[in-house]
Amino acid sequence: MACIALNRVFLILFIIAPLSAARILTAPLSAAPVLGAPLASPQGVNPYETDRTAIRVGRALFETRCAQCHGGDAKGISGPDLTVLWAVGTSDDRVFRTIQLGVSGSIMPSSSAPDQEIWAIVAYVKSISTVPEFENDTGDAVRGQEIFASTCANCHRVNGQGGHLGPDLTRIAAIRTREMLMRSIRDPSASVAAGYRAVTLVTEGGQRIRGAMKSEDAFSILIVDTDERLQGYLKADLQELTRGERSLMPEFGPDRLGDEELDDLLRYLGTLRGAAPARR
Amino acid sequence: MLSTRLAGIAVLLAFGTVGPPSLVAQVGDPGAGDALGVTYEDLLQGLTDPSRWLTFSGDYSGQRHSPLTQITPENVHRLVPQWTFQTGTLTRGRGFETTPLVLDGILYVTGSNNYAWALDARTGRRFWQYRRNLPNDLTYGASAPVNRGFGMLGDRLFMVTLDAHLLALDRRTGGVLWEIELADYHVGYAATLAPLVIDGKVIVGISGGEYPTRGFLDAYDPETGDRIWRFNTIPGPGEPGSETWPPDAENLARGGGGTWMTGSYDPDLDLLYWGTGNPNPDYYDETREGANLYTNSIVAIEASTGTLRWHYQFTPHDTHDWDSNHVPVLADLMFEGEMRSVVMVANRNGFFYVLDRITGEFLLGKPFTDTTWAREIGPDGRPIILNDGSLGCLPEPWGGTNFMPPSFNPALGVMFVTARESCATYVPQEPVIEPGRNSSGGIIWIDREQGYGALRAIDVVTGERKWEFRYPQPTMAGVMTTVTGLVFAGDHDGNFMAFDADTGENLWHYQTGSRIWGAAPMTHMLDGRQYVLIPSGTTLVAFALPDDRR
Repeated sequence: MACIALNRVFLILFIIAPLSAARILTAPLSAAPVLGAPLASPQGVNPYETDRTAIRVGRALFETRCAQCHGGDAKGISGPDLTVLWAVGTSDDRVFRTIQLGVSGSIMPSSSAPDQEIWAIVAYVKSISTVPEFENDTGDAVRGQEIFASTCANCHRVNGQGGHLGPDLTRIAAIRTREMLMRSIRDPSASVAAGYRAVTLVTEGGQRIRGAMKSEDAFSILIVDTDERLQGYLKADLQELTRGERSLMPEFGPDRLGDEELDDLLRYLGTLRGAAPARR
Repeated sequence: MLSTRLAGIAVLLAFGTVGPPSLVAQVGDPGAGDALGVTYEDLLQGLTDPSRWLTFSGDYSGQRHSPLTQITPENVHRLVPQWTFQTGTLTRGRGFETTPLVLDGILYVTGSNNYAWALDARTGRRFWQYRRNLPNDLTYGASAPVNRGFGMLGDRLFMVTLDAHLLALDRRTGGVLWEIELADYHVGYAATLAPLVIDGKVIVGISGGEYPTRGFLDAYDPETGDRIWRFNTIPGPGEPGSETWPPDAENLARGGGGTWMTGSYDPDLDLLYWGTGNPNPDYYDETREGANLYTNSIVAIEASTGTLRWHYQFTPHDTHDWDSNHVPVLADLMFEGEMRSVVMVANRNGFFYVLDRITGEFLLGKPFTDTTWAREIGPDGRPIILNDGSLGCLPEPWGGTNFMPPSFNPALGVMFVTARESCATYVPQEPVIEPGRNSSGGIIWIDREQGYGALRAIDVVTGERKWEFRYPQPTMAGVMTTVTGLVFAGDHDGNFMAFDADTGENLWHYQTGSRIWGAAPMTHMLDGRQYVLIPSGTTLVAFALPDDRR
């Protein structure tokens, strides 16, 4: 199924093919007013952060220069996944310098490309890694925070407060669009992040345990149970093991969370763009 | 035609009728080998001396099938680590892919980043370490800083390097005796395989098919390092095979076709069997109309002259980087009522092939993965394409299997293969062609939602799957079998495992702490105990049954 979805992505890719790499390289970047603009912003800050033309140019450059190793979706093939860089607190400047200097001892070469081109690549990769602030939000963030505290905080943490079963949402608005969050609330099982897939197991003694699967190999399974306890089991010791495709998170349909409440909650979630937990 | 020397343990397979294994267990006399070291006669004996493992696959057949009997399906659950050797060198993006050699209780081991060691096989402690000073502008060698092992003759160890050289080291000191350049690494060349030593020759191949390179197979004089012959895997203009390319000399000169995995050898036929890699560019094919011989093929090369006897192309005009760099497995099989000398390959394209190794005649081609691209291999040996990508994703560039060695149990007539079910969509793009620049020419989208690995047992006469053991992740670890009916294999999650060869039942496993990647196990006797070794991450771990005498 995922393949079919991917194919659709390629069709789109081919349709916008006129923005081919060859053209971009033959038409000097300085000809484009946006990219030609001097780097007036402070050193280390991407002058093209939200510039749509630059991001388009960056995409074409990425596809010719980076995608062979990092994959068309920048999620990595032989080179690492680049879309998680910002989520773990990597700065634009650091990514810029890595492209410029390369990674010694690896295939990742240094680049003598003009700064503008490198910044355009940074802007593109960041654009598919993080998301702009929510637009046209109609809800009430204060009410949303109350809903969050009563409905979500049992499992989700924000700024160190809340449960541990679900993902930390401290900076969720920086990495998920409003639409993605809405889908995650209404239909959480449509796309489950690794480490949050539901699993149910029955121990030798007949105890039924439900939790989120953290890791699995051929012989063992590691979970966090619904009481937030880390537990490891040998598969051979289990009576039953059911790997759900579903999320551990319940569905919040309109019956449990009305449209207005959803708006409020999303308005609140949209404010969560805090520092990454790893970089406090 | 059955070569008793070739198989080491010569077992006739005749549909369930199994001949007695002709095992002559002669423990190597420590010290006796010191004067002369390893001779070609020793190499011909393969694994008959249980204290030895003298060449990459254990013997020339590529079967990686050990005659050792101490560890059995009944006692393998008692296997415990004896020692761990820490290499101290990381392999970015790849694995610790070596097979150690062992002679007179000393292990000779190559590592990533062109390190090498001589280790005491009892303790894992180090006699010497060698490290090549590598240039900081490696090309292909920077993306795969691996090495798969030594070749050995006399008191010499032969090792290839990431800057595309061949070295001879003194086995007593690790000192360099001579070194020669195989090709210019600046262009994209590198070398990673274990050299194959035959009578008076060191056979080596080359890596770098993702760059504008031209593959070759070379024979060198073990004494001097002088080149004896070179076989180019991409023909020159006007040469046989050039008709499968556009008439463009420049194109041919960078047509790819690497030879980066150790081949096999039939001493009776004096034929080397070697796999060749992808055409260059890998994915973009506008400039290379035709079948592109001899890429993605197996070539049978006369060892004395370096001339091509026959070839078989698994993936004509490949656009998916499905190199055919595998260990070809040689055996003698009863095939449709007739004893045939065959060569078997579980190919990266997801099909299992049996060919007559004297003539190259196609005998069998059956899929061993469910992720596929061809409906079948026709009677003419050519694939009948089912899915060119328009029906969804295809086996990904890492393939339905890869270079990790498979293993063949001749008594069972079963090949054990690490199969990979993982697929990708390919978007070709015209690459910039210049020396030292990757020219793969495309973008790959791997479907990350699905995908798993499996150890699969394939009946080599029918191509049918007898059993499988699934791994949660697509795996790049190799396999070894023993005559007691054991299969040893690794997986991507770090497990080193033993299985019942008949049933596929898992009998033992040990978590090594790092994915096992590109390496296959080896085994040998020492002090009356059978050791099994596996490289994993930055470690080499040796296992044996508990020593009840102590």
